[in-house]
Amino acid sequence: MAKAPAVYILGGAQSDFARNWTKEGKHFVAIMREVVLAALETAKLEPHEVETAHVGNFAAELYAKQGHVGAFFVEIDPAFRGLPTARHEAACASGSIAALAASAEIEAGRYDLAAVVGVEQMKTVDSVTGGDFLGTAAWYERESKGIEFPFPKLFGRLGDEYDRRYGLKDEYLARISAINYANARRNPLAQTRNWFMSDSHALKSDKYNAVVAGRIKVSDCSQITDGAVALFLASERWAARYARRHGVALERIPRILGWGHHTAPLEFDTKVAESRESAYVLPHTRQAILDAFQRAGVASVEQISAIETHDCFTTSEYMAIDHFGITAPGQSWKAIEEGWIEPGGRIPINPSGGLIGAGHPVGATGVRQLLDAYRQVAGQAGDYQVEGAGRVATLNIGGSGTTSCAFVVGC
Amino acid sequence: MVERRKVVILGSNGTMGAGAAVVFAGAGFEVVMLAREPAKARAGIEAAKRVARSEAVAERIEYGSYREHLARAVAQADIVFEALAEELELKRAFFAEVDRWRKPEALVASNSSGLSMAEMAAGHSLSFRRCFLGIHLFNPPHLVVGAEVVPNPESDPEVVEQTAVLLARRLGRKVIVAGDQPGFVGNRVGLKVLNEVAQLAVEHGVALMDYLVGPHTGRSMPPLKTIDLIGWDVHKAIVANIYARCPEDPARDSFRLPQFIEHGVAAGRLGVKTPAGGGFYRQETNGTLTVLDPASAEYRPYRAPAPVGFVEAMRRLNRIGRYREAVAVMADAQGAEAELLRRLVLGYLSYGLGLCGGVARTAADVDTIMGYGFNWAPPGALVDLLGARRTVELLERHRLAVPAVVERAAANGERLCGGGPMEYGRTLVG
Repeated sequence: MAKAPAVYILGGAQSDFARNWTKEGKHFVAIMREVVLAALETAKLEPHEVETAHVGNFAAELYAKQGHVGAFFVEIDPAFRGLPTARHEAACASGSIAALAASAEIEAGRYDLAAVVGVEQMKTVDSVTGGDFLGTAAWYERESKGIEFPFPKLFGRLGDEYDRRYGLKDEYLARISAINYANARRNPLAQTRNWFMSDSHALKSDKYNAVVAGRIKVSDCSQITDGAVALFLASERWAARYARRHGVALERIPRILGWGHHTAPLEFDTKVAESRESAYVLPHTRQAILDAFQRAGVASVEQISAIETHDCFTTSEYMAIDHFGITAPGQSWKAIEEGWIEPGGRIPINPSGGLIGAGHPVGATGVRQLLDAYRQVAGQAGDYQVEGAGRVATLNIGGSGTTSCAFVVGC
Repeated sequence: MVERRKVVILGSNGTMGAGAAVVFAGAGFEVVMLAREPAKARAGIEAAKRVARSEAVAERIEYGSYREHLARAVAQADIVFEALAEELELKRAFFAEVDRWRKPEALVASNSSGLSMAEMAAGHSLSFRRCFLGIHLFNPPHLVVGAEVVPNPESDPEVVEQTAVLLARRLGRKVIVAGDQPGFVGNRVGLKVLNEVAQLAVEHGVALMDYLVGPHTGRSMPPLKTIDLIGWDVHKAIVANIYARCPEDPARDSFRLPQFIEHGVAAGRLGVKTPAGGGFYRQETNGTLTVLDPASAEYRPYRAPAPVGFVEAMRRLNRIGRYREAVAVMADAQGAEAELLRRLVLGYLSYGLGLCGGVARTAADVDTIMGYGFNWAPPGALVDLLGARRTVELLERHRLAVPAVVERAAANGERLCGGGPMEYGRTLVG
């Protein structure tokens, strides 16, 4: 792979994922505005310096009866009038795709300073309707139509596939949930930061922790979340000027060291059938991670300090553990049992709380992961800081393992 | 620093007892819920399960009765959290027992929202007095995260600091240290506004007041609906206490309890907790909503007030995140209704920020407790949105005191509310 021009991250902002915008009587543009203005302030940028904007959003047409989400960026500030904007959709990976598009523009030399925004408003409908909307991230008429909560079913089957190939005990999934909730307690913007959770709650199914589908209980699921996140990407030329302006060394500004992006067939059955010969259940996801590592010059996960991964369900984090190479294929349980993925462990996963603990505003998640990776590397993660985080990887997945995006962020 | 792991809750059958149990259990504490009868404490655990939405929460909670279990539970506790009825002598009697059995370093906290910490502490051992303070959680504590730490005059400053850190880091609270005065900071500022609205409801009606001073002015719930939720009896107790014990308060008249509330409480009209008696609002058995006419004490069918132009304009602007513009509409609007609202809102920020340096340490503390204890737009945020200079002008025009922090902000152009809209945007409802 040819060495691409560097893309720097100048900082950003995340909304409090515990908010309910419907109860607040808000249009999503209100919170987009809050996070973009806060991101400008945090990153010490002026609105007129922004040259292009990319917005990740999954389904505003369904949840908020509003398309053309990219154009809402120019509503935020008069200085944004006239800017090129675009909205990107790849289900739950929409945010990463927006970041990829922005970084591609910077690498191509078209623009020097890009805004990346992820936004999703989901609490506008009841859970069954919301589940049906989310079903459009699969092949709707084949996998979702007429099915209540299609996605827990699909990711339950991911667990079943692990079970079939390698064996899987639900206690490991419960532990993943409990760790994410525990981490979320240290993240002041996490949706579940004040929710009750314990290992035994996550393990038991009862009236407060009902089975949603197969081996998936409520505690195995990520949240229905209203959330927005904004961050800024800059070219080396722009970042060098910025570094001088603020008296910081360019080498101290985190950048995207590598990325990976692959797409598997939409249907879960097809994916599993095609991976039958592979040691990895989702080989295209594995490849996205390997590409990001290779572009970043990272030989293995040993050189990564922490991971923000896509735990839309506990089974997807279970999958991520071996796909990142933390264990041999099928042995993710070992990393859980040994405490490697916990704070202070060998390779902490989701110090933010992830999608289960921090929340999962679908189109914003990829941007949130990238911002958390930035915060870790910049030493700005507060109570959920991983000490000495040098390189942090992200994995963002759309559909049932269909679109996979990975980044490595470091200095 | 002492690692605190075990907490005993006295008064476990109330809503605060159960809520506090969940908050402590969620942070990994071992909790003992005590009540007069074991059955009541057990009911507290059932309430805790409902609040936590978890059966497993009970694994971290034991229960018992004062008579049989207090001595042993207190002897093992790192924290004793008192949530008994608001009666000084009752609490003092319990504290005497606690003082007998507690470990010397055990923290003893009262959740009282009105009584004096100094009076509760007096007469107990020196070690008790040094480790005794108020932890005022707001109801329901699993949802409302504001908390006031209220030292008594002899509290060990280190214990105060450790408690504030524990509440913030382990229990996820937004914490301020407040002076030991009636209502502390949150209720002093919040109930002043709520009681003023109740007073004005006699002349202007309940529905109109709740509409004018509604969520668009920076609160999650309209004021009179809030009093219904707090309970008229609790409202009365806090307001009357401040009125009686703060004779020098420049806003003392705002704490004069309206007669209709006095009569309503006597008649068993306590708000949400007395559905049949009602409050400002009453859900009738036929399903219709009625509203109290304070003057006649009769309930009439609820009719939404006719839309007022500036209110609707504020809502539209809040909806799209134009908070500054929404507040400007309020500042500029013409007419008696706008004047009424301005007087209340300006009174709120004049009074609230005027408390800093006294019962509140800083403007940021006032903002924190109004933002997270009441879920109201913090007064400092409203000053920032109006502009400090404009605020000074408006306060002077309304003959309201200009707090020193507002004058300073007007002079040096600094923002009062550090977090900006990310901190308070949620409170400005569309």
